[in-house]
Amino acid sequence: MIRFQPLARVGSAVLALAATLAAGAPAEATKPGGVLTLTLREDLPQGFAVHETSTISTVWPSAPCLNNLVLFDPLKATESVDTVIGELAEKWSWQDGYRNLVFFLRKDVKWHDGKPFTSKDVKHTYDTVREAPDAPQKLRINPRNDWYANVEAVEAADAYTVIFRLKRPQPSLLLMLASGYSPVYAAHVPAASYRTGCVGTGPFKVKEWRKGEFLEYVRNPDYFVKGRPYLDGLKYVVIKEPGTRIAALRTGQVDVSFPNEVSKTNAEQLKAAVPKLVITPYSTNVNDNIIMNIKKPPFDNVKVRLAVSRGIDRRGVIQAVHQGGALVGAAMAPKPQGVWGLLESDLSAQPGYGKPADEKAKARKLLGEAGYSPQSPLKVEMVTRNIAIYVTMASFVISELKQIGIEATLKQIETAQWHATATRGDYQIGANLTGIGPDDPDANFYENFACGSPRNYSFYCNEQVMAQIHQQSQELDPKKRLAQVQAIQKKLEEEAARPLLDWRLDYFTVWPHVKNLLPHQSIYNFARMQEVWLDK
Amino acid sequence: MKTYILRRIAIAVLTLLGMSVVIFGLLRLAPGDIVDILFAAAGYVDAEQKQAILQELGMDRPYWVQYLEWLWQIVTGDLGKSYRYELPAWQLIKPLLPVTLELAGLAILISVLLGVPTGVISAVRQDSGLDYVLRMLSLAGLSMPSFWLAMVIILGCVAWLGWIPPVTYVGPTDNLRLHAVQFMLPALAVGYRSSALIMRITRSALLEVLREDYIRTALAKGQTARVVVWRHALRNAMLPVVTVIGIEFAFMIGGLVVTETVFNLPGVARFLVEAIQWRDYPMVQNLVMFIAIVVILSNLVVDVLYGVLDPRVRYGE
Repeated sequence: MIRFQPLARVGSAVLALAATLAAGAPAEATKPGGVLTLTLREDLPQGFAVHETSTISTVWPSAPCLNNLVLFDPLKATESVDTVIGELAEKWSWQDGYRNLVFFLRKDVKWHDGKPFTSKDVKHTYDTVREAPDAPQKLRINPRNDWYANVEAVEAADAYTVIFRLKRPQPSLLLMLASGYSPVYAAHVPAASYRTGCVGTGPFKVKEWRKGEFLEYVRNPDYFVKGRPYLDGLKYVVIKEPGTRIAALRTGQVDVSFPNEVSKTNAEQLKAAVPKLVITPYSTNVNDNIIMNIKKPPFDNVKVRLAVSRGIDRRGVIQAVHQGGALVGAAMAPKPQGVWGLLESDLSAQPGYGKPADEKAKARKLLGEAGYSPQSPLKVEMVTRNIAIYVTMASFVISELKQIGIEATLKQIETAQWHATATRGDYQIGANLTGIGPDDPDANFYENFACGSPRNYSFYCNEQVMAQIHQQSQELDPKKRLAQVQAIQKKLEEEAARPLLDWRLDYFTVWPHVKNLLPHQSIYNFARMQEVWLDK
Repeated sequence: MKTYILRRIAIAVLTLLGMSVVIFGLLRLAPGDIVDILFAAAGYVDAEQKQAILQELGMDRPYWVQYLEWLWQIVTGDLGKSYRYELPAWQLIKPLLPVTLELAGLAILISVLLGVPTGVISAVRQDSGLDYVLRMLSLAGLSMPSFWLAMVIILGCVAWLGWIPPVTYVGPTDNLRLHAVQFMLPALAVGYRSSALIMRITRSALLEVLREDYIRTALAKGQTARVVVWRHALRNAMLPVVTVIGIEFAFMIGGLVVTETVFNLPGVARFLVEAIQWRDYPMVQNLVMFIAIVVILSNLVVDVLYGVLDPRVRYGE
């Protein structure tokens, strides 16, 4: 059996690899040509309409067709403000104390239909997404409208200059714009048309999308980065059956695994069967968490919420549910893979992260103080989505809660009803998964912990925390901001706003001939394929 | 016969009408709709936006209006538009049909080629060692669901050969050899189970016929056993076998879901499951209607074949 590095060292390994690449280790001579074959677990849910979905099933296959203003450097594993590079924007500049973000656009970019790309396209895209009063159109579903709540106006100063005018300083805007969720749409085609096709500026043009079967790209010969992409094409094959996806990877019919697909156990089996496969463990920016409806008893009582948080052994979850393939962390992805996570020493002092026996004793005490006892135990219904990865986690949590005297029954919710149930608050307690675009506090806090956010399923709302969130959002000093972000995380843990159980690791698997495809610490941001080449 | 067929067609139309009510009603009873799925992919829900999409798709209208619209679409040959792909349903369904029909046809061919001869041998050699072996094989076939067998075949291929059939559909005109390879294993997985059933039915029907007086007479008149079995007995034993083949073919169309999924073949059954998951009503309704039509047609073909196989069978004339 293959032995992977201990979890604490996994991140270091990824970082080391990234550092090696960044430091310009002896570069292999790139070889142009070839077609990279990838898998999809389902057909593109909303075509290429990235602004209308929040799923990797859309972002991963759409990215090669599109471009952002800026992007996280595909060759650097750890994303941060320092790894943001220009894409449609040649350069950018913060002005007026981070109140205006000015982008200077490339002048040599053409849409796939031959029309020139200008600032009009950028204004059109972001006015649509932020639902500006004079927006040219409306998205029928707009999950990331909140990301741009601080944008007062998007101005096309001239054909190749765009200014984002902000209500207050917000350094994170640049990171959100670098996310895979922030492509620029063409102004001359309706946003709805991205659901059925793709007019992009990206390195690849759609050759054929055979519904339910595959999506095929060819190299964009007019791509604005000379010499890129290296590949002649890409082929994304839809394989619904997980076992067949793994079999196709193992037998070389596909070159690359789907992000967040390969568990630690799968990785061990793959490596044993085909030792030359290159497997990279990385943090996906996807976490398992417990949502508790704070609007209703008993979880309006912070003691009960804390009892739940203390009652669940995080390391136990990681072993039992993920066979070791996950990391312990608070609201932000843990270090070293994440940038903002709490240090191990801080984390172990938070409720729920200490020794399991001690934590469970404290949990029982808290339940006692809240009026529950072995004679009159707390009985709750735990909801979760009817998908195996949710149900496994929920089942383990129920067994943990039983040990502290909470009797929970499991109710599986049909996928179609899951988000409606959570958003309406038709539940007491639930086991949930959350994926976050970029590893950034604004993207995470405003979406999952801000008062009134539609994805704040626990309905947690603390004015003091909101003030802290706003404060960190406009803090310009990185060190001060890190301290503020960590303080918020501690506060969220103290109030058991949405107890985090773990941060999932994926074991990204590629054949050794696939070069320059490096997973980042978020599954959504490394799918452009512009730098990838095949050593065949 | 003509009158009979016309009457059967009339009954078939009524059956399909009844089916359409059931399909339409059951779909709407399932929790959630396409808009819920779209919001699930977005990770939030907004009542106002939801209403706007329902309106856009025409799903806010009364059910009876939607139902009549669908019926009218069928009558006029326009199957409506997929909610998910925003494309005409027929455009999506058309390429799926040959895949599923070919797979089902191949599977049924394999099952007949395996099932009938082994059934005959088993009957002729009743209670011999060979009979026991064949019956055991047939029992194994009946006990193994085709989806399980499909998974075992894939796992076996990976483990022992380091190879699996192509995961992207290869058309017969693109590469006939690869096409055959791609279809042979799933057809075997499905066909083996059906062949077991056909073998057992052939055996029992033939055993019954072999005990008839006219068989004894034929043998007494000096006909060879081969002629008696294959020309006289088997033909008379074929009625139940043909019935089973017809039923198996009909059920195969809808029952290929897992086989198509495991072997990643882009057929009707796999697409239907995805359409159900997406609550893509126009796609589900039309695909289920297609399956219903195949079931009715294969029953009709079986009934007509009765008359061909056994001249004594006459239909109400």
